[in-house]
Amino acid sequence: MASTQDIKRGVVILWKNEPHLVAEFEHIMPGKGSAFVRTKLKNLRSGKVLENTFKVGEKVDVVDLEKRRVQYLYASGDKFAFMDNTSYEQFEVGTEVLAGFEKYLKENLEVILLFSEGLPITCEFPKKVSYKVTEAEPGVKGDTASGRVTKEVTFETGLKIRAPLFIKEGDTVVVNTETGEYAERG
Amino acid sequence: MKKNWQKLKEDARGRKYFFLRAKIISLIRDFFYSQDFLEVETPSLVRLPGMEPYLDPVETEILFGGEKSKAYLITSPEYAMKKILAAGFPKIFQICKSFRGGEGSDRLHNPEFTMLEWYRANADYWSIMEDAENLFLHIAGGLAPAGGKGEGKEIFYRGKKIDLSPPWIKMTVREAFKKYAKIDLDKVLDIQELSRAAISKGYSVEAGDRFEDIFFKIFLNEIEPNFEKAKPIIIYDWPVEMAALARRKSDGSRYAERFEIYAGGMELGNAFSELIDKEEQRERLLGEKKLRKKMGKEVYGIDEDFLTALKSMPPSGGIAMGVDRVVMLFSDAKEIEDIIFFPAKEIF
Repeated sequence: MASTQDIKRGVVILWKNEPHLVAEFEHIMPGKGSAFVRTKLKNLRSGKVLENTFKVGEKVDVVDLEKRRVQYLYASGDKFAFMDNTSYEQFEVGTEVLAGFEKYLKENLEVILLFSEGLPITCEFPKKVSYKVTEAEPGVKGDTASGRVTKEVTFETGLKIRAPLFIKEGDTVVVNTETGEYAERG
Repeated sequence: MKKNWQKLKEDARGRKYFFLRAKIISLIRDFFYSQDFLEVETPSLVRLPGMEPYLDPVETEILFGGEKSKAYLITSPEYAMKKILAAGFPKIFQICKSFRGGEGSDRLHNPEFTMLEWYRANADYWSIMEDAENLFLHIAGGLAPAGGKGEGKEIFYRGKKIDLSPPWIKMTVREAFKKYAKIDLDKVLDIQELSRAAISKGYSVEAGDRFEDIFFKIFLNEIEPNFEKAKPIIIYDWPVEMAALARRKSDGSRYAERFEIYAGGMELGNAFSELIDKEEQRERLLGEKKLRKKMGKEVYGIDEDFLTALKSMPPSGGIAMGVDRVVMLFSDAKEIEDIIFFPAKEIF
């Protein structure tokens, strides 16, 4: 049995005898008592989301997840198809598993899917992904009126981010997928 | 990881929070000056910090008179403020840095933060509630554009409207337990009874859990998330175990005259009718010291000078309010790092 110190985003715990994914968590210090951690838990069987606040140190059952390295193939509607690199098995997962990372997908990108009882639950996305710039207006002076010294660029996947002025069409750019921001020139 | 100042350099949109912060702090000062409060300054570096068992004062040392001496950064200026009340200053306030080493750094916490405390002599926590209501109206009015909607009495925090006009919602801890958790707190004011009630509701109660731990399991799960959000809410009369510096209610009950203010899902302030009974205060501090020791926390002596001062202190009301959170509320900031330039997690 683990304790609440192990609770973080993406961990699956057994809560009231059902597996729950920790979707969000935040510390609370009431000042006149021990620290607590407030979580948003998603019941993996019913899909229902509920809040629960644990005392730090409280014992919780953490469910072991099976990690599989998979490769992104294509999107069809709001489903995203991946292939297991070793077994060549294919899966379709929805946005609830990708949790916002779907916009950073590109063909052949490797990610890790975590499975519980044979079902994909959540993903571990690479922190840095590089993309080819397909559109970047040359000679843009940046939005200096608002004090910004960046401009918008578009990647081959259609994703748009703000990048420094020196980035031009054809460049490769590395994006931090946790912040959604430009990291460096690839 | 990009530092806050770098983000501000690249994207000017975040800069507005710092102008709002300065404006809000200036409005706070303005409010207290207009009410004839004296602004005071007290030491950040002390020999004997607050005894609160769940707070961790930052420890350091100073060379004084050729000898090394242990020193601590204050977790709140409370003891010093009360000595000033005892000295004969009836209305005082302070905006200062306070430090809590154990609270980490997250959306609502930074180990170094800005605290507002104000005290009124010959008053109790009711006057402090009124001050808080008036202070918030003053800030909202000062920030509202002339002729704007809501007459400066409404603000929006994270997309939700909060009506600041007094009176705010006021509810005793006992009423809150009854309303939201269906528990009669009067009947569970000892740990065995409270444990029993918690277990019957499906909470896990562990061997080391204290009264306040079980109390907060229920409070944070069933009560606080369900508070009315359209107005600030004042929760008052806390079990005496959770109010070491507050006066016990005059009816001799197990509750003390303490209140907390919640707005925008944040706990903003903690206030008392101050305890001025020297002997009762000594006993409570000794109890807290014992608990600190048991919990393996840093232990230091009781500030005897503070106890002596209590004898000359008039009955008073006082409050500690987190300025950073007040700034977040009025500037609609999502995280504390939106309104402080250098969050601790970038430093350590």
